[in-house]
Amino acid sequence: MSSLFIAGHEFHSRLFTGTGKYASADAMMDSLNASESELVTLSLRRMDLKNQTDNILQPLLQQGMKLLPNTSGARTAKEAVFAAELAREALETNWVKLEIHPDPRYLMPDGMETLLAAEELIKKGFVVMPYVHADPVLCKRLEEVGCQCVMPLGSPIGSNMGLASRPFLEIIIEQSRVPVIVDAGIGAPSDAALAMEIGADAVLVNTAMAVAKQPAQMGKAFKLAVEAGRMAYESGLGEKRLQANATSPLTDFIGALS
Amino acid sequence: MKIMLNDASHEFVGETLQDLLTQLGKSEQGIAIAINQQVVPKSLWSSTELNEQSQVFIFESIAGG
Repeated sequence: MSSLFIAGHEFHSRLFTGTGKYASADAMMDSLNASESELVTLSLRRMDLKNQTDNILQPLLQQGMKLLPNTSGARTAKEAVFAAELAREALETNWVKLEIHPDPRYLMPDGMETLLAAEELIKKGFVVMPYVHADPVLCKRLEEVGCQCVMPLGSPIGSNMGLASRPFLEIIIEQSRVPVIVDAGIGAPSDAALAMEIGADAVLVNTAMAVAKQPAQMGKAFKLAVEAGRMAYESGLGEKRLQANATSPLTDFIGALS
Repeated sequence: MKIMLNDASHEFVGETLQDLLTQLGKSEQGIAIAINQQVVPKSLWSSTELNEQSQVFIFESIAGG
Protein backbone atom coordinates (compact mmCIF):
# COMPACT_ATOMS: atom_id res chain seq x y z
CA MET A 1 0.00 0.00 0.00
CA SER A 2 1.44 3.36 -0.97
CA SER A 3 2.05 6.23 1.42
CA LEU A 4 0.04 9.44 1.30
CA PHE A 5 1.81 12.78 1.04
CA ILE A 6 0.25 16.07 2.06
CA ALA A 7 2.37 19.23 1.92
CA GLY A 8 5.47 17.01 1.82
CA HIS A 9 4.51 15.10 4.97
CA GLU A 10 4.36 11.32 4.58
CA PHE A 11 1.49 9.38 6.12
CA HIS A 12 1.67 5.59 6.32
CA SER A 13 -1.89 5.43 7.55
CA ARG A 14 -4.75 6.71 5.42
CA LEU A 15 -7.05 6.84 8.44
CA PHE A 16 -7.26 10.29 9.98
CA THR A 17 -9.12 10.57 13.25
CA GLY A 18 -10.94 13.03 15.46
CA THR A 19 -10.56 13.23 19.22
CA GLY A 20 -14.10 14.32 20.14
CA LYS A 21 -16.82 12.41 22.01
CA TYR A 22 -14.59 9.82 23.74
CA ALA A 23 -15.61 8.86 27.27
CA SER A 24 -12.08 9.46 28.56
CA ALA A 25 -8.57 10.33 27.43
CA ASP A 26 -7.55 6.71 28.04
CA ALA A 27 -10.35 5.36 25.85
CA MET A 28 -9.34 7.82 23.16
CA MET A 29 -5.68 6.83 23.23
CA ASP A 30 -6.52 3.11 23.17
CA SER A 31 -8.74 3.64 20.14
CA LEU A 32 -6.28 5.88 18.29
CA ASN A 33 -3.39 3.51 18.96
CA ALA A 34 -5.40 0.54 17.68
CA SER A 35 -6.34 2.54 14.58
CA GLU A 36 -2.67 3.37 13.89
CA SER A 37 -3.81 6.82 12.79
CA GLU A 38 -1.04 9.39 12.43
CA LEU A 39 -3.12 12.56 12.17
CA VAL A 40 -5.65 13.69 14.77
CA THR A 41 -7.90 16.71 14.89
CA LEU A 42 -8.35 19.00 17.88
CA SER A 43 -10.51 22.03 18.62
CA LEU A 44 -10.00 25.29 20.46
CA ARG A 45 -12.32 26.97 22.90
CA ARG A 46 -12.22 29.73 25.44
CA MET A 47 -10.38 28.42 28.46
CA ASP A 48 -12.51 27.17 31.31
CA LEU A 49 -11.02 29.23 34.13
CA LYS A 50 -12.83 27.37 36.90
CA ASN A 51 -12.19 23.75 36.02
CA GLN A 52 -9.14 21.83 34.93
CA THR A 53 -9.64 20.25 31.53
CA ASP A 54 -8.67 16.65 30.88
CA ASN A 55 -5.22 16.92 29.28
CA ILE A 56 -5.37 15.06 25.99
CA LEU A 57 -2.53 16.94 24.36
CA GLN A 58 0.31 15.31 26.25
CA PRO A 59 -0.57 11.68 25.41
CA LEU A 60 -1.12 12.60 21.75
CA LEU A 61 2.27 14.28 21.51
CA GLN A 62 3.96 11.41 23.35
CA GLN A 63 2.54 9.05 20.78
CA GLY A 64 4.03 11.18 17.99
CA MET A 65 0.66 12.09 16.46
CA LYS A 66 0.55 14.95 14.01
CA LEU A 67 -1.98 17.49 15.25
CA LEU A 68 -4.57 19.09 13.03
CA PRO A 69 -6.43 21.91 14.77
CA ASN A 70 -9.84 22.73 13.36
CA THR A 71 -11.70 26.03 13.21
CA SER A 72 -14.93 24.56 14.53
CA GLY A 73 -17.14 27.25 16.00
CA ALA A 74 -16.27 29.75 13.27
CA ARG A 75 -19.29 31.04 11.37
CA THR A 76 -17.48 33.38 8.99
CA ALA A 77 -14.18 33.54 7.12
CA LYS A 78 -12.96 36.24 9.50
CA GLU A 79 -13.65 34.08 12.56
CA ALA A 80 -12.01 31.07 10.93
CA VAL A 81 -8.82 33.01 10.13
CA PHE A 82 -8.68 34.20 13.74
CA ALA A 83 -9.24 30.64 15.00
CA ALA A 84 -6.48 29.34 12.72
CA GLU A 85 -4.04 31.96 13.99
CA LEU A 86 -4.87 31.04 17.59
CA ALA A 87 -4.48 27.35 16.81
CA ARG A 88 -1.11 27.96 15.18
CA GLU A 89 0.08 29.52 18.44
CA ALA A 90 -1.56 26.95 20.70
CA LEU A 91 -0.41 23.83 18.89
CA GLU A 92 2.66 25.10 17.06
CA THR A 93 1.52 23.92 13.67
CA ASN A 94 0.62 25.78 10.48
CA TRP A 95 -1.76 22.99 9.46
CA VAL A 96 -5.45 23.72 9.84
CA LYS A 97 -8.68 21.92 9.14
CA LEU A 98 -10.78 24.78 7.88
CA GLU A 99 -14.41 24.32 8.84
CA ILE A 100 -17.04 27.01 8.82
CA HIS A 101 -20.57 25.97 9.65
CA PRO A 102 -22.98 28.70 10.63
CA ASP A 103 -25.94 26.35 11.10
CA PRO A 104 -25.77 24.20 14.26
CA ARG A 105 -28.58 21.86 13.19
CA TYR A 106 -27.07 20.30 10.08
CA LEU A 107 -23.54 21.70 10.42
CA MET A 108 -23.42 22.27 6.67
CA PRO A 109 -20.16 23.94 5.67
CA ASP A 110 -20.41 27.42 4.17
CA GLY A 111 -18.60 27.09 0.86
CA MET A 112 -18.29 30.79 0.08
CA GLU A 113 -16.81 31.73 3.44
CA THR A 114 -14.55 28.67 3.26
CA LEU A 115 -13.10 29.75 -0.09
CA LEU A 116 -12.48 33.29 1.21
CA ALA A 117 -10.81 32.00 4.37
CA ALA A 118 -8.73 29.46 2.44
CA GLU A 119 -7.29 32.17 0.18
CA GLU A 120 -6.33 34.33 3.13
CA LEU A 121 -4.87 31.49 5.20
CA ILE A 122 -2.77 30.27 2.28
CA LYS A 123 -1.35 33.80 1.90
CA LYS A 124 -0.47 33.65 5.59
CA GLY A 125 1.45 30.42 5.09
CA PHE A 126 -1.01 27.83 6.38
CA VAL A 127 -1.45 24.30 5.07
CA VAL A 128 -5.20 24.42 4.55
CA MET A 129 -7.39 21.32 4.66
CA PRO A 130 -10.92 22.54 3.94
CA TYR A 131 -14.01 20.65 5.11
CA VAL A 132 -16.65 21.22 2.45
CA HIS A 133 -19.78 19.85 0.89
CA ALA A 134 -19.17 17.24 -1.80
CA ASP A 135 -19.20 20.00 -4.39
CA PRO A 136 -16.87 19.27 -7.32
CA VAL A 137 -16.79 22.92 -8.47
CA LEU A 138 -15.90 24.24 -5.03
CA CYS A 139 -13.27 21.54 -4.52
CA LYS A 140 -11.63 22.58 -7.79
CA ARG A 141 -11.68 26.25 -6.74
CA LEU A 142 -10.09 25.37 -3.41
CA GLU A 143 -7.38 23.41 -5.21
CA GLU A 144 -6.76 26.38 -7.51
CA VAL A 145 -6.24 28.81 -4.62
CA GLY A 146 -3.65 26.46 -3.12
CA CYS A 147 -5.34 24.10 -0.67
CA GLN A 148 -3.12 21.05 -0.07
CA CYS A 149 -6.11 18.69 -0.08
CA VAL A 150 -9.89 18.80 0.02
CA MET A 151 -12.14 17.21 2.62
CA PRO A 152 -15.62 16.69 1.17
CA LEU A 153 -18.31 15.22 3.42
CA GLY A 154 -19.92 11.82 3.04
CA SER A 155 -23.00 12.92 4.99
CA PRO A 156 -23.68 15.31 7.90
CA ILE A 157 -21.16 15.36 10.78
CA GLY A 158 -21.86 12.63 13.32
CA SER A 159 -24.84 11.27 11.34
CA ASN A 160 -23.31 7.83 10.59
CA MET A 161 -25.14 7.90 7.25
CA GLY A 162 -22.09 6.92 5.22
CA LEU A 163 -21.40 8.06 1.68
CA ALA A 164 -24.72 9.73 0.86
CA SER A 165 -22.74 12.02 -1.47
CA ARG A 166 -21.07 9.17 -3.36
CA PRO A 167 -21.74 10.23 -6.97
CA PHE A 168 -20.28 13.68 -6.24
CA LEU A 169 -17.34 12.26 -4.33
CA GLU A 170 -16.54 10.19 -7.41
CA ILE A 171 -16.48 13.32 -9.58
CA ILE A 172 -14.26 15.12 -7.05
CA ILE A 173 -11.86 12.16 -6.90
CA GLU A 174 -11.73 11.93 -10.68
CA GLN A 175 -10.98 15.66 -11.11
CA SER A 176 -8.76 16.42 -8.15
CA ARG A 177 -5.02 16.90 -8.35
CA VAL A 178 -4.72 17.20 -4.57
CA PRO A 179 -5.54 14.42 -2.10
CA VAL A 180 -9.25 13.89 -1.39
CA ILE A 181 -10.10 13.02 2.20
CA VAL A 182 -13.66 11.93 2.83
CA ASP A 183 -14.72 13.51 6.09
CA ALA A 184 -17.92 13.31 8.13
CA GLY A 185 -20.71 10.77 8.21
CA ILE A 186 -18.56 7.66 7.98
CA GLY A 187 -20.47 5.42 10.36
CA ALA A 188 -19.08 1.95 9.74
CA PRO A 189 -15.85 0.39 8.56
CA SER A 190 -17.66 -0.61 5.35
CA ASP A 191 -18.27 3.11 4.61
CA ALA A 192 -14.55 3.77 5.04
CA ALA A 193 -13.63 0.81 2.84
CA LEU A 194 -16.04 2.02 0.15
CA ALA A 195 -14.54 5.51 0.22
CA MET A 196 -11.10 4.01 -0.27
CA GLU A 197 -12.30 1.64 -3.01
CA ILE A 198 -13.68 4.53 -5.06
CA GLY A 199 -10.29 6.21 -4.85
CA ALA A 200 -10.36 8.56 -1.86
CA ASP A 201 -6.84 9.20 -0.59
CA ALA A 202 -7.85 9.03 3.07
CA VAL A 203 -10.85 9.20 5.38
CA LEU A 204 -11.42 11.08 8.62
CA VAL A 205 -13.37 9.21 11.28
CA ASN A 206 -14.43 10.38 14.71
CA THR A 207 -17.93 9.61 16.00
CA ALA A 208 -18.06 6.00 14.82
CA MET A 209 -14.89 5.15 16.75
CA ALA A 210 -15.51 7.37 19.77
CA VAL A 211 -19.03 6.24 20.62
CA ALA A 212 -18.46 2.52 20.03
CA LYS A 213 -18.90 0.27 23.07
CA GLN A 214 -15.36 -0.90 22.46
CA PRO A 215 -13.52 2.06 20.95
CA ALA A 216 -10.18 0.24 20.73
CA GLN A 217 -11.63 -2.66 18.77
CA MET A 218 -13.53 -0.26 16.53
CA GLY A 219 -10.31 1.65 15.91
CA LYS A 220 -8.70 -1.52 14.67
CA ALA A 221 -11.78 -2.36 12.56
CA PHE A 222 -11.44 1.00 10.81
CA LYS A 223 -7.71 0.51 10.29
CA LEU A 224 -8.35 -2.85 8.59
CA ALA A 225 -11.20 -1.45 6.49
CA VAL A 226 -9.17 1.51 5.26
CA GLU A 227 -6.26 -0.74 4.38
CA ALA A 228 -8.51 -3.26 2.64
CA GLY A 229 -10.25 -0.55 0.64
CA ARG A 230 -7.01 1.11 -0.40
CA MET A 231 -5.35 -2.18 -1.32
CA ALA A 232 -8.37 -3.11 -3.43
CA TYR A 233 -8.26 0.27 -5.18
CA GLU A 234 -4.55 -0.02 -5.89
CA SER A 235 -5.01 -3.62 -7.08
CA GLY A 236 -7.70 -2.55 -9.56
CA LEU A 237 -11.32 -3.56 -9.06
CA GLY A 238 -13.12 -5.44 -11.81
CA GLU A 239 -15.80 -3.77 -13.87
CA LYS A 240 -19.46 -4.28 -12.99
CA ARG A 241 -21.60 -6.00 -15.61
CA LEU A 242 -25.18 -7.21 -15.83
CA GLN A 243 -24.49 -10.62 -17.37
CA ALA A 244 -22.69 -13.53 -15.75
CA ASN A 245 -19.15 -14.26 -16.80
CA ALA A 246 -18.11 -17.80 -15.86
CA THR A 247 -15.23 -18.30 -13.48
CA SER A 248 -15.11 -22.05 -14.26
CA PRO A 249 -14.66 -23.37 -17.77
CA LEU A 250 -18.00 -24.41 -19.27
CA THR A 251 -16.87 -27.78 -20.59
CA ASP A 252 -19.33 -30.39 -21.75
CA PHE A 253 -18.14 -33.25 -19.54
CA ILE A 254 -21.64 -33.66 -18.02
CA GLY A 255 -22.77 -34.27 -21.55
CA ALA A 256 -20.80 -37.53 -21.34
CA LEU A 257 -23.67 -39.02 -19.24
CA SER A 258 -26.12 -38.95 -22.11
CA MET B 1 -6.33 46.54 38.27
CA LYS B 2 -9.41 45.20 36.59
CA ILE B 3 -9.08 43.67 33.15
CA MET B 4 -11.57 41.80 30.99
CA LEU B 5 -10.70 38.12 30.85
CA ASN B 6 -12.78 35.81 28.67
CA ASP B 7 -15.63 38.34 28.72
CA ALA B 8 -15.69 38.69 32.53
CA SER B 9 -14.17 41.29 34.81
CA HIS B 10 -11.01 39.97 36.45
CA GLU B 11 -8.99 41.49 39.28
CA PHE B 12 -5.34 41.24 38.33
CA VAL B 13 -2.22 41.99 40.36
CA GLY B 14 0.84 42.18 38.14
CA GLU B 15 2.06 43.73 34.93
CA THR B 16 2.43 41.32 32.06
CA LEU B 17 0.51 38.60 30.32
CA GLN B 18 2.96 36.10 31.78
CA ASP B 19 2.08 37.38 35.28
CA LEU B 20 -1.59 36.73 34.53
CA LEU B 21 -0.90 33.18 33.42
CA THR B 22 1.18 32.48 36.51
CA GLN B 23 -1.63 33.88 38.65
CA LEU B 24 -4.20 31.63 36.96
CA GLY B 25 -2.02 28.59 37.53
CA LYS B 26 -3.09 26.90 34.31
CA SER B 27 -0.97 24.68 32.09
CA GLU B 28 0.61 26.75 29.34
CA GLN B 29 0.69 23.84 26.93
CA GLY B 30 -1.78 24.05 24.07
CA ILE B 31 -3.05 27.52 24.84
CA ALA B 32 -3.24 30.73 22.83
CA ILE B 33 -3.96 34.29 23.88
CA ALA B 34 -5.50 37.25 22.13
CA ILE B 35 -5.62 40.82 23.40
CA ASN B 36 -8.13 43.14 21.79
CA GLN B 37 -8.64 40.53 19.08
CA GLN B 38 -4.95 40.30 18.16
CA VAL B 39 -3.15 37.02 18.73
CA VAL B 40 -0.13 37.49 21.00
CA PRO B 41 2.71 35.07 20.18
CA LYS B 42 4.14 33.08 23.09
CA SER B 43 7.48 34.85 22.69
CA LEU B 44 5.83 38.14 23.64
CA TRP B 45 3.86 37.00 26.69
CA SER B 46 6.48 38.14 29.18
CA SER B 47 6.92 41.55 27.56
CA THR B 48 3.25 42.32 26.91
CA GLU B 49 1.92 44.66 29.59
CA LEU B 50 -1.74 44.70 30.50
CA ASN B 51 -3.86 47.72 31.34
CA GLU B 52 -7.46 48.45 32.26
CA GLN B 53 -8.43 48.54 28.59
CA SER B 54 -7.05 45.07 27.95
CA GLN B 55 -9.61 42.58 26.72
CA VAL B 56 -7.85 39.27 27.14
CA PHE B 57 -9.08 36.00 25.74
CA ILE B 58 -7.32 32.77 26.60
CA PHE B 59 -8.05 29.70 24.50
CA GLU B 60 -7.21 26.08 25.18
CA SER B 61 -7.06 23.07 22.91
CA ILE B 62 -9.68 20.43 23.56
CA ALA B 63 -10.94 17.26 21.93
CA GLY B 64 -12.75 17.74 18.63
CA GLY B 65 -13.43 16.23 15.24
